[in-house]
Amino acid sequence: MQPPARPPLRGGRPRALAAAAALVALTPISACAVANSDDTGTTGGGEGTLRIVLAQEPPTLDPCDASLTATGAVVRSNISEPLIERDPTSGELEPLLATEWHRTDPTTWRLDLRSGVTFHDGQPFTAEDAAFSIDRAVHSDVACNVDGYVFGGTELDVQTDGAAALTVTTAEPDPVLPLRLSFIEVVPRTTSTDAKVRTPVGTGPYAIDKWETGVSIALRRNDSYWGDAPAYPRARYVWRSEPSVRAAMIDNGEAELSAALNPEDATEDNSVAYPNNETTALRLDGTQPPLDDIRVRKAIGMVIDQGAIADVLFAGLADPAAQLVPDGVVGHNADLRAAPPDFTAARALVADAADDGVPTGKRISLIARNGQFPRVSETAEALQYQMARLGLNVRIQMTDSAAHLEYQLRPFPKGAGPVALLIMHGNQTGDGAFTTSQYLLSDGPQSTFGTAALDERIAAAGALSGDRRQDAFAAVFAAQNDDVAQYVHLAHMRGLLGRSADVRYEPNSATGDELRLADVRPAHRKGS
Amino acid sequence: MVTFLRKRVVSSAIPLLFVVFGVFCLARLTGDPVNLYLPLSATPEQRAEFAAANGLDQPVLVQLWDYLGQIARLDFGESLRTGQSAAEMVFAAFPATLQLAAVTMLIAVAGAVLIGCAAAYRPNSPADRVCSFLSMTAASIPDFWFAIMGVLVFGVTLGWLPTSGVTGGAEVWVLPIATLLIRPFGVLVQVVRGAMVAALTAPYTRVARSKGASEKRVVFGHALRNAAMPALTVAGDLAIGLVNGAVVVETIFGWPGIGKLMIDSVLQRDFAVLQAAVLLTAVTIFTLNILIDACYALLDARVRQAAPA
Repeated sequence: MQPPARPPLRGGRPRALAAAAALVALTPISACAVANSDDTGTTGGGEGTLRIVLAQEPPTLDPCDASLTATGAVVRSNISEPLIERDPTSGELEPLLATEWHRTDPTTWRLDLRSGVTFHDGQPFTAEDAAFSIDRAVHSDVACNVDGYVFGGTELDVQTDGAAALTVTTAEPDPVLPLRLSFIEVVPRTTSTDAKVRTPVGTGPYAIDKWETGVSIALRRNDSYWGDAPAYPRARYVWRSEPSVRAAMIDNGEAELSAALNPEDATEDNSVAYPNNETTALRLDGTQPPLDDIRVRKAIGMVIDQGAIADVLFAGLADPAAQLVPDGVVGHNADLRAAPPDFTAARALVADAADDGVPTGKRISLIARNGQFPRVSETAEALQYQMARLGLNVRIQMTDSAAHLEYQLRPFPKGAGPVALLIMHGNQTGDGAFTTSQYLLSDGPQSTFGTAALDERIAAAGALSGDRRQDAFAAVFAAQNDDVAQYVHLAHMRGLLGRSADVRYEPNSATGDELRLADVRPAHRKGS
Repeated sequence: MVTFLRKRVVSSAIPLLFVVFGVFCLARLTGDPVNLYLPLSATPEQRAEFAAANGLDQPVLVQLWDYLGQIARLDFGESLRTGQSAAEMVFAAFPATLQLAAVTMLIAVAGAVLIGCAAAYRPNSPADRVCSFLSMTAASIPDFWFAIMGVLVFGVTLGWLPTSGVTGGAEVWVLPIATLLIRPFGVLVQVVRGAMVAALTAPYTRVARSKGASEKRVVFGHALRNAAMPALTVAGDLAIGLVNGAVVVETIFGWPGIGKLMIDSVLQRDFAVLQAAVLLTAVTIFTLNILIDACYALLDARVRQAAPA
């Protein structure tokens, strides 16, 4: 017997797929494919390409923003070059696009420029370009990062002297003007003065080939480069914010170099440690009780175990610190050493303060920033514990970058109470003046207080040069510890650079801000 | 149906306005972006100049008025971070997220229907128990952990797949899709199985069988159609979650999508990009909701009839 005929099903198609189908309808897959094939191999790059993985995509490649870490890592000395460069190891200034410089009077410097240099677009480099670059960085409406970074509103008068020399005049004598000028990257005089440029032209050993937003930046070798030709004909930058993925890319042969690895992901085969000029410290707000009492501030400094923090929390990638600048920076005081904890003496100081009516039980906010450095939250907890052993009432507050800056820069938030701010200071200029003017002056942008005596020392040191300058700033750092105690220093940090066994490259203290591709060589090429 | 859709569009416009106001106000409560964009050593004058150049020195109400005027002109401003048009940045990032979401949901729905139906066909059988265990496990695995393990196992240890990135062939899709897929797939398998178990024991399936309908027709023609409603609801929610930005996947695998863009713009206080990204995402989610409602109406005549004229 045949079954009865079934009525036709209405709408019998699997409509549960409708939601996904709706998504597909919104997706212009054919026109906007993200993943794509190219001739550079699975992970991008291809033969002869040096592949670098950064922590983030540069927001801009304008050379006048090269003092931004993310921008400088790509631009500085790769795409564009400064007139003068500072040797990160010796601290000495070396000629680059300027061959010589000297002071002609207390406020004027003269620079002689290199001949035979051309920009990527074939234009010759002249004094006009050098003068334009300084003027654009310091005086234009482009809001160059380097202006605030090293010039801080300083007015410069720049004049050309023929095609191969220029003079720079300042309102006040500036013994470190050549050092400041080393932060200005040279661009051709045709560069926009109204807006930042996305694909800059420079004189460096590499030129921009393609910037695929969100994906990669490709560079090609500048075959008309005036100096030695770099080993790799091409370079390609990608970015991954997760450190373990960056380490995996080195392990998997997808990149030769990687920015900032975490100690957990680093091995001898995929990384190398280097001093990154960063110093961690606890800034104590000396305007708020109980931190307005120097006995309390000094007591905190006496109980922090810098050695244990450096060895355990920073995995040995740090040295105990007793000042804000590491060795190699003008003003570093070799006589200052971190002392072992002394709880007995510290408790006595706090007890004295309490006897004099200082409210030592008042809650102190210990503020740190997420991602500030590896194991920052554990470091904050260790500091809280050690301060609590003194009888201080400490509460940890973790913030993001923007919120942390509210506490780091003047004007400070009102009503925040006593704040112990965990900071990390990197002096990439190599001169203590850039640290003291920010962190130690009474009205320094990142200083909560100071003393008139220390201000006078800082001003006097800034007018000196040579060994006298070194000694004067060294005395300033000693005076901060003895007479002010605004900072409890933790450690001079070391970074971890991801490095494949396929390349030869020795990082230095500038590597985090300036990764010179011309210094990278294939490991198998002997004698190159 | 047209009336139904018109009413849904109108009713979606009001929440959209709340989104516009809400994002604007909440973004400004997170703090001043000036310090983030200038070096620590910048002078107060330079900070004031930067604020004035970007309209950040104006009272919030003035900024809101300017923002509404910009939206009316479909001008979403420029990114503080990159100087690029915020709309261009958002429209460049959105297709990457949509592609991930679409492929993930297609695989999740298709796979969940097949496996969920198979499990429900013989409830409490060994296959059903294995299926339930695995789907429960899949729905419970943290995507961040799964992604990192995928990179270490399939990228580094086995070397079968690239660790991350978008350049290459189909292999670059595998880990991101697998990471995104695992939770929706587990959840949908459970939902489809549960709905199908109920549907396959319902009176109308017994009637269909008594009429001599084939098992294939009983399962996919009768039971699945009725079980589709709860699955559609859950699939819609999951799809909306993906469109909202697959932040973990985009962050770990370097996928240039809207989720990563939004997180970065929040952290960088890049208001123009944040506002544009949230607005576009909100419009997309409202559109998706309307399409899903339309699917309900197509699937169930009672929904169509309930819509007021």
